[in-house]
Amino acid sequence: MSAHQRGTELDLSWISKVQVNQPAVLRRAEQIQARRPVKKEWQAAWLLKAVTFIDLTTLSGDDTSSNVQRLCYKAKYPIREDLLKALNMHGKGITTAAVCVYPARVCDAVRALKAAGCDIPVASVATGFPAGQTHLKTRLEEIRLAVEAGATEIDVVINRTLVLTGQWEGSDFIKTSTGKETVNATFPVAIVMLRAIRDFFWKTGNKIGFKPAGGIRSAKDSLAWLSLIKEELGDEWLKPELFRIGASTLLADIERQIYHHVTGRYAAYHDLSMS
Amino acid sequence: MAETCTGSRASEIFTTLEYGPVPESHACALAWLDTQDRLLGHYVNGKWLKPEHRSSVPCQDPVTGEELASCLQAQSEDVAAAVEAARASLENWSTLPGAFRAQHLTRLAKMIQKHQRLLWTLESLVTGRAIREIRDRDVPLAQQLLQYHAIQAHAQEEALAGWEPMGVIGLVLPPTFSFLEMMWRICPALAVGCTVVVLVPPASPTPLLLAQLAGELGQFPGILNVISGPAFLGFVLSSQPGVQKVAFCGAVEGGLRLLIQESVWDETMRRLQARMGRLRGGRGLDGAVDMGARGTAARDRAQHYVSEAQSQGAQVFQAGTVPSESPFFLPTLISDLPPACPCTQAEVPWPLVVASPFRTAREALALANGTPRGGSASVWSERLGQALELAYGLRMGTVWINAHGLRDPAVPTGGCKESGSSWHGGMDGLYEYLRPSGTPARLPYLSENLNYDTFGLAVPSTLPAGPETGPSPAPPYGLFVGGRFQAPGARSSRPIWDSHGKLHGYVAEGGAKDIRGAVEAAHQAAPGWVGQSPGARAALLWALAAALQRRESTLASRLERHGVELKVAKAEVELSVRRLRAWGARVQAQGCTLQVAELRGPVLRLREPLGVLAVVCPDEWPLLAFVSLLAPALAHGNTVVLVPSGACPIPALEVCQDVASLLPAGLVNVVTGDRDHLTRCLALHQDVQALWYFGSAQGSQFVEWASAGNLKPVWVNRGCPRAWDQEAEGAGPELGLRAARTKALWLPMGD
Repeated sequence: MSAHQRGTELDLSWISKVQVNQPAVLRRAEQIQARRPVKKEWQAAWLLKAVTFIDLTTLSGDDTSSNVQRLCYKAKYPIREDLLKALNMHGKGITTAAVCVYPARVCDAVRALKAAGCDIPVASVATGFPAGQTHLKTRLEEIRLAVEAGATEIDVVINRTLVLTGQWEGSDFIKTSTGKETVNATFPVAIVMLRAIRDFFWKTGNKIGFKPAGGIRSAKDSLAWLSLIKEELGDEWLKPELFRIGASTLLADIERQIYHHVTGRYAAYHDLSMS
Repeated sequence: MAETCTGSRASEIFTTLEYGPVPESHACALAWLDTQDRLLGHYVNGKWLKPEHRSSVPCQDPVTGEELASCLQAQSEDVAAAVEAARASLENWSTLPGAFRAQHLTRLAKMIQKHQRLLWTLESLVTGRAIREIRDRDVPLAQQLLQYHAIQAHAQEEALAGWEPMGVIGLVLPPTFSFLEMMWRICPALAVGCTVVVLVPPASPTPLLLAQLAGELGQFPGILNVISGPAFLGFVLSSQPGVQKVAFCGAVEGGLRLLIQESVWDETMRRLQARMGRLRGGRGLDGAVDMGARGTAARDRAQHYVSEAQSQGAQVFQAGTVPSESPFFLPTLISDLPPACPCTQAEVPWPLVVASPFRTAREALALANGTPRGGSASVWSERLGQALELAYGLRMGTVWINAHGLRDPAVPTGGCKESGSSWHGGMDGLYEYLRPSGTPARLPYLSENLNYDTFGLAVPSTLPAGPETGPSPAPPYGLFVGGRFQAPGARSSRPIWDSHGKLHGYVAEGGAKDIRGAVEAAHQAAPGWVGQSPGARAALLWALAAALQRRESTLASRLERHGVELKVAKAEVELSVRRLRAWGARVQAQGCTLQVAELRGPVLRLREPLGVLAVVCPDEWPLLAFVSLLAPALAHGNTVVLVPSGACPIPALEVCQDVASLLPAGLVNVVTGDRDHLTRCLALHQDVQALWYFGSAQGSQFVEWASAGNLKPVWVNRGCPRAWDQEAEGAGPELGLRAARTKALWLPMGD
């Protein structure tokens, strides 16, 4: 996320022209999940790729420095070394894309990552997460503090009061939701957002990133998300600069699937380290 | 060692993120073929039939060319055996209570569910179609079809009172078809109590498997019989005694034509090409392909079309990925095809899409309707008003708005023009296999003596016919065309005799040119009449009824001169008046809305006029039959060309006096003359959309033969008189069904 958008003049007429054919979107969403299974070595490789897109996240009220530290360690070593070796993928620096925490935990994360000697970026949710219903002044202050603490990526909650009244904002990345809603990242919503990203790219040449968050728990889900991006935007979007998956428990399932692929057995709970 | 190999492979895939093969095991399909020792015969009366001394054809994997099994080719006696089995089981099956048939169909649906993997792997293996298409769409739909029709069978005694099953139905399937095409047709036939003989092209194992699944239910083994053999056996099948109807379907699923408005042409083409680039082709048994293969013949057709189009200067865009081996063909988008190029008229082969631009919606409609085909179309637009306008205007059997290819057992699917006039699904599909109770069965007999080249060709010359009696010489009646009486092109008249052999009057001797003029006039009147609301149409029919009532004494006296008792003649006039009123009232209740599972939004079942309907009226009941046929035709929005009773055309011409003053010009046209000759002219006219014929058996045979030219729907009586004065035969629901065609309009919704 180093290269920021050059930006374009906000043209609201684009937005007013957008039309969504909901039944067709639903059908497409169903198709993509059913038509692009990946199996065997392909599955293992795709799952490892998925790991590199994960924003490994903890957003709990009871987060402390110890569980943030454990999260950061897991981000650095997401898959057991011997499993990577079996796939000939050891020493290739497979880590998650980032760790994602609340603003007050940013300093813990930065410290832990520094201690582990790695340069995984720290992302912070900010601006009155998850509702965004705080004053602009405190929201801006929150961002400033998180950046001061060492966060290099900020997940901003947009002011939905403004959105629902038709007043939009722009960004480098768009995220399906906070992950704290009752309905979070769904395929149909993602298709609409990805088509908007593609249209924007066709019109301006600017590539906007995409981050589904919330409810992505299984390795199978993550594969479907990868093929969705591949089908709708193409391979050039399949890199951490343009695609992230916000998740906390997904990584454990991916590791379990890779364990199964390598050993042919299903892992016991204690076979794999927790995050 | 193996592990390292896997490992390096994984790291390579990690960088490229390509898709891999997802082969679906077809072991069960092969195991099933093994149970037959790789030799497939026919499935008749619940048993495999493998007669000796038959030639066989290989059933091959369309991708690898590997021989999977050999299939015996049926001969005439095998067809006869299958028809005999169907005939033997008909009595039991058709007289069962509907609830029993419903149960049996439900058991068959369960049977399919149990063996679905076998069904989809076998179908994909032998046809080369993508397995996910069969697994996710065809197999569930096959089960839904059985369920839906089970419910219809259950309600049959109530909902379809007054109708009875036709009997043994023959079904002829084309070389490339999905087993679903068979299901769409056998489900309604079996549900209403018919039994079926299916003739499939050689090397089609899936229908045989379905027949076996049905046979293994134990009861009623002979209701579904499948034989495989060459297409000409279709003639043998249709001439077997007991076969009441032969349904057939053409090759399914060709390519597509796209009409794109100029203002969005670039944008649409860009999106289309981007999406095409992501299509994956490959072996049907791979779970991750969008398109399978259809064999080398299909590929050659596609290649031929593309080369032809290229040589005419068209733009050809190909994208996507397919294996380089022989039977695959890339998804292809063709644009800039010159209008005069032969490709523009030819059917587009699979997997090709031909795109052409249009300027206005009106132009799009003209382009879309300007083909001989009328199966299905989809309209894509965010302007609902415009989309609906187009959807109503398209002469197609099915129209989807902002969607494509949806099907449901409750929605009738059919076509118009050369796409055929039969229906599957919904209530319309059931009527295909029913006839009004008491209608005589069809005899397979065809007259060998009928010479199609000369039937009705010559018109006998008419000469002066003796002394004209009466107070003043009666003027000859003209032809009633375009709203007024006209002299016939031939400028000659024919005498009409009364029951005492005396001259009653002269009517015009119409010919080919008069038919042409009448059809033209009817076409001109059509848009205005279709545009009238049902209420306005009813009002006009009622006005005509009132006028007839006023003319009662004249009409009765005309009938009397033809030997009808005065009391009976008056009753005939009275009944004719009632017919006009009844159809005027019924026209208000047209079409309905269907609710479909898995679709948010309604499907409209519209009843649309056929267009120009030609009616050759029977000799008997000269007034009543004429009115009984005219009224439903007009009520449903058709414009008509009628040939009245040959022996007694004068009452019909009398009615025209009122038609002239009440109805729009051209709506009703009446041509008198030699019936055989006029029938010939009408049947051979390509721009007549439907033809009803009530006359001789020979005439009926000719009409069926000649109408095959544009596949117009025909209704013939095969020389059997009808009781026009009876409610069922003179004004029953059969007439209403015949007088309009169904269109299914899908309106998915969502914000």
